[in-house]
Amino acid sequence: MGISRDSRHKRAHTGAKRAQYRKKRKFELGRQPANTKIGVTRVHHVRVRGGNTKFRALRLDTGNFSWGSEATTRKTRILDVVYNASNNELVRTKTLVKGAIVEIDATPYRQWYEAHYATPLGRKSKKGAEQAEEEINKTRSSRVQRKVDARQATAKVDPHLEQQFAKGRLIAAIASRPGQSGRADGYILEGKELEFYLRKITSKR
Amino acid sequence: MADIQHERAFQKQHIFLNAKQVGAKKRNQRWFKDVGLGFKTPKEAIEGHYIDKKCPFTGNVSIRGRILTGTIVSAGKMKRTIILRREYLHYVKKYNRYEKRHRNLAAHMSPCFIGVENGDLATVGQCRPLSKTVRFNVLKIQKAVSGSKQFKKF
Repeated sequence: MGISRDSRHKRAHTGAKRAQYRKKRKFELGRQPANTKIGVTRVHHVRVRGGNTKFRALRLDTGNFSWGSEATTRKTRILDVVYNASNNELVRTKTLVKGAIVEIDATPYRQWYEAHYATPLGRKSKKGAEQAEEEINKTRSSRVQRKVDARQATAKVDPHLEQQFAKGRLIAAIASRPGQSGRADGYILEGKELEFYLRKITSKR
Repeated sequence: MADIQHERAFQKQHIFLNAKQVGAKKRNQRWFKDVGLGFKTPKEAIEGHYIDKKCPFTGNVSIRGRILTGTIVSAGKMKRTIILRREYLHYVKKYNRYEKRHRNLAAHMSPCFIGVENGDLATVGQCRPLSKTVRFNVLKIQKAVSGSKQFKKF
């Protein structure tokens, strides 16, 4: 490969130019970046040093995202890349990298919430309310119903999140490295972090 | 508090901040650690609001290996790094005498050390490479003894 990760080609701390005294070695190699896009999943295997494998994701459409404050994790579709602190180009080309802010499908989380707390979440339309009704008012055993009622105390959801649920898209950050592990997993943004990134996204537009 | 967010990415320590608040818990959830080897972690590190992933007290670096000391020759020119000067004597056998030599050392300085000027003594500990030339992290600063015979401009 032409890409190497050595520091022999760089100047020393004192500024001295270092003479080349040996060729590039295999253990210093670097590979082409993955530039993972959104699309039907396509992952290539790469054999790396020591015989181990890395999974280079070239296209991904789903990821395992966790809702921290509720401590649930669901596999959801990734819909769009919305912000990247390092490079705007990566937003334009919709590249999935660690630290990218993406929009994900909210339905699995809404389903979990409505089953867990028996209250509708982000339902505006009549049809939506009806769908929620079934799940909320289904018959439960008395034990389970008591549990559900006890949970009502902590059922409140942050208004920013409620708005996102109403739109059906949540804002999340990717915490895995798709070009290394082949997965785009992450966490739903909440609190200060969410406000910070919402401001960044709206000010861009 | 929000004035620490100067970068394009959200600066935070990698601790979970968003647990549901049932009652008003203590604000400013901050993670800090004791670096060991008898070094006290500064009050500013525990109570401050800065985010520095390379800070030995509130970031993700461990101090291991050598502990060195030196005088600061350059503080405040680079972002969160300083240059230390370490002097030593080298023996020349032919003349049975010594000559003065020095080495400069780049070290990362956490924002918990405030009011640091050139000439102060710094104790630095070895850590993993933090940048091209930085492998040390400041653990303790001692103010330079202001020479009683020297003038100091205000």
